[in-house]
Amino acid sequence: MNGYAGKILYINLNTRSITTIPTKKYEQWVGGHGMGSALFFDLVKDKTIDGFNPENAVTLMSSPLCGTLVPSGAARTEIQGIGVQSLPIGWFTRSNFGGRFSAMLKYAGWDGIAIQGQADSQVWIDIRNDDVKIRECAPLNLWGTDTWECQKVIWKEVAGDGVYGDWIKANEKGYMTTQRPAVLAIGPAGENLSRMACLIHDAGNGAGQGGFGAVFGKKGLKAVSVIGTGSIRVNDPKALIEARLWQKKHYAFDLNNLKLKTFSLGFQGPPIPLTLYRQGRPQVGQRPQACVGCHSGCRGRYEDGIGNEATCFTSVFYYFGKTLLIQRQAADLLNRYGLNAAEMFVGELYLRSLRDNGIIGKGKEIDCPLDFKQYGELAYAEQLVKAIAYRNDGKGNPHSFGDILAEGFVRAAEKWGRLDGKRSDLKTGRLKFPSWGLPKHKLERSQLDWGYGTIFGDRDINEHCFDMLRAFPTYYKRYNIQIPPAEQVVKIITDKMEPFQGDMKMLDFSTENMYSKHMIKLVTWHRYYTRFWKQSAQLCDFRWPDFLNLYALDKVGATGIAEPRFFNAVTGKNFTYLDGINLGKKIWNLDNAIWSLQGRHRDMVRFADYIYTQPGATPSGYPEYMPGIRKGKWDYVVTSGRHFDREKFEDFKTRFYQFQEWDPKTGYPTRKTLESLDIGHVADELEERGKLGRAMA
Amino acid sequence: MDKKMKPKSSEKNNLSRRTFLKCTGTIVFALGSGCYLESGRRSKGNGLKMAVSDGYLLVDIGKCQGCISCMLACSLVHEGVQNPSLSRIQILQNSFEKFPDDLTIEQCRQCEKPACVEACPEDALAANVEFGNVRMVDKEKCTGCGSCFEACPYTPARLTVMEDEAFNRELKSRKCDLCASAPYHWHKKGGGPDGKQACVEVCPVGAIVFTRKLPVQDGDQGYKVNLRDENWEKLGYPAPKA
Repeated sequence: MNGYAGKILYINLNTRSITTIPTKKYEQWVGGHGMGSALFFDLVKDKTIDGFNPENAVTLMSSPLCGTLVPSGAARTEIQGIGVQSLPIGWFTRSNFGGRFSAMLKYAGWDGIAIQGQADSQVWIDIRNDDVKIRECAPLNLWGTDTWECQKVIWKEVAGDGVYGDWIKANEKGYMTTQRPAVLAIGPAGENLSRMACLIHDAGNGAGQGGFGAVFGKKGLKAVSVIGTGSIRVNDPKALIEARLWQKKHYAFDLNNLKLKTFSLGFQGPPIPLTLYRQGRPQVGQRPQACVGCHSGCRGRYEDGIGNEATCFTSVFYYFGKTLLIQRQAADLLNRYGLNAAEMFVGELYLRSLRDNGIIGKGKEIDCPLDFKQYGELAYAEQLVKAIAYRNDGKGNPHSFGDILAEGFVRAAEKWGRLDGKRSDLKTGRLKFPSWGLPKHKLERSQLDWGYGTIFGDRDINEHCFDMLRAFPTYYKRYNIQIPPAEQVVKIITDKMEPFQGDMKMLDFSTENMYSKHMIKLVTWHRYYTRFWKQSAQLCDFRWPDFLNLYALDKVGATGIAEPRFFNAVTGKNFTYLDGINLGKKIWNLDNAIWSLQGRHRDMVRFADYIYTQPGATPSGYPEYMPGIRKGKWDYVVTSGRHFDREKFEDFKTRFYQFQEWDPKTGYPTRKTLESLDIGHVADELEERGKLGRAMA
Repeated sequence: MDKKMKPKSSEKNNLSRRTFLKCTGTIVFALGSGCYLESGRRSKGNGLKMAVSDGYLLVDIGKCQGCISCMLACSLVHEGVQNPSLSRIQILQNSFEKFPDDLTIEQCRQCEKPACVEACPEDALAANVEFGNVRMVDKEKCTGCGSCFEACPYTPARLTVMEDEAFNRELKSRKCDLCASAPYHWHKKGGGPDGKQACVEVCPVGAIVFTRKLPVQDGDQGYKVNLRDENWEKLGYPAPKA
């Protein structure tokens, strides 16, 4: 099994048993998400349980590519299980983080970890090659530490008599290494079961969505540490390094001939820290910092050590922090206390709106201990973070405010009575949580692939495959950045969208095309591609796919050719690009079956009310542009300022289900569809639970 | 870093048990024979004089992005597997530290007077004339005793001593050979001073370069250099301080 370690670690915290599952048993799913979904399906007999139930299984999966020289494909870890963040049901969901963890896991000899049960005391998992132990937190005083302190304590513990900076022994039988253990930890937010608690690895790799920090906390699991010194076999070593150098020569950035100087997204993006601090990029000494094997780092480490590895939502969390320094310090607070940056960012703006309208404050409609006089100062952000992480007033005193908010902003708004009646904050759009009680990310009424993908799935998809279609033209209009014509861009991309290639109208984002059969194909392709190539093979979302590439011949990126070239060099599976898309379809269907077993029905699949009534607007107020057909010609057209139509969306939903060959009346999968994908056993369980869809006429 | 590069102490290093035992056994044998370590060139301790290498790796620790692609490329072309522990170049980093102390690159220096070559009791380490006098391990001769590892004056030692599947899992020393002896090398010219080095070729940001000029041997300055040019500055990286 080239590319694999060959075994999956199974830990049951109820019994504190440590056993092994042969990876071979799940090899048909390749790795990552596919393997995680299949494991979850087998391990969790009752899919209707709550995420806090001890029987909930959490999987941490690598892929055959992890730890190898595949560019931006060697470092992701896929985490799955029943989440505790979404509404009305905590869906079986996923999160994902980069760094060193999955690579180190494989060097230690493991393709993944499945954790079930609940420990009767607070523990951490210590993996040193084949030596795996469930260890108590108490001797190291780990419980109560923030995510950074926790990691440092474990590093020291694992080093023993060794000193980092020199070779150390991973364990008695293992080789030596100069590397520190890769540790995944929860902070106080996870310990106190905040539904927006995340997992942090190193300074800033976060698995934010799903509330898995709280799931860990409920299991009594503070951290998982892994150090490994073994080898990953590669099918064709020469082919792998040839592929890597081919990619570098033809598709990666060239420092002597930069095509992009400001973006850090996209395959050819130069290594610029992706910081969104309101007051710009830190002007201190810094380096780009990359995950294992990445050709183009996307975050930084800084001369003052502040904001190390913070990126994207984390760096924008305290948008109204008065200074750049304060914004960066606030980002560190999120990482240390272990809170989901997306929910904290959108939620903080919600609190600001309530404050501006005199609704929240001491003695106001919503009693709130936050010191708004400190707004913009670090003290305000710190109090807010601590209030949620410790479920108190943010200063160590009991208070219902933090306790309520730790449940998430939508649950808090409901508790405060803000979701009642015609002026509900989800009707007016004051509370920008458009899908599944989760925070807004992209403008779903504009970037339709994002909006539809999220509502037909389980979480904010956070998949940037087509984001350049918004970013390039939108910034082109504002900053006069030269970009290729819309028609050329659309052709390059749709030519790569097997098996629907050539249908250019898939990328027509004009209002007239919002509910078309072409849009259904776009959403479908996106689900399939990402479920396999991104979330199972684990190519990084920030760098793949490589559609449009300014360095490549005729600007045609490497996607379609590169994925199987790298995959086969590592595994020797003779896998095609389309094989991956088709496996993505199978995984997508398995996921939908699990959601159906959890209780999903098509009637639940709807956006928050404001999405149907309020025009979508960007935070900056500038219009948003995407490709579309206007007066019979391709152009970049304005896609902000519009909203979904309820009836048209319901009709779109029906046709989307029909296209998936699911029951359009319920959204349940059908036996015929599942058997055609060779997962008939899933149909059996659905039938047993009364969730099997009726075959279409 | 927790520990700056410094001359190795005399403390017993963290060799694997087998390596340590084997190493210990070798020393006992040597002392027992009453001649090997106390006679000839190896006992002088002044460094072994030999022809200088035709090539060296230089690195910029301020430019490195920490992706360890160089380490992965090294183990891939030499061993056919992916394993940072088998890499002849090591990136050490701490994500909580301040730049530039958050990261260092430690590569073999192809020393003018290589202590590892001097220490080898089997003459398995030598300047390889065929490959421009690069200091190379002859695995046929190597017994995996670890003397070279012990002798390397730098921290971490620029050699590794580990089992080798090509030699029935016997312990064998490895060190940087500028890819001269890399069974999985991709280029028709191969490696060595006149060929291609995997770490140099694969580094995405140009933080490793090859040079034929003998670097200053004292301290780090000859080997840890500034490769950040105006193009690097164009990406918005403040110029390095003088």
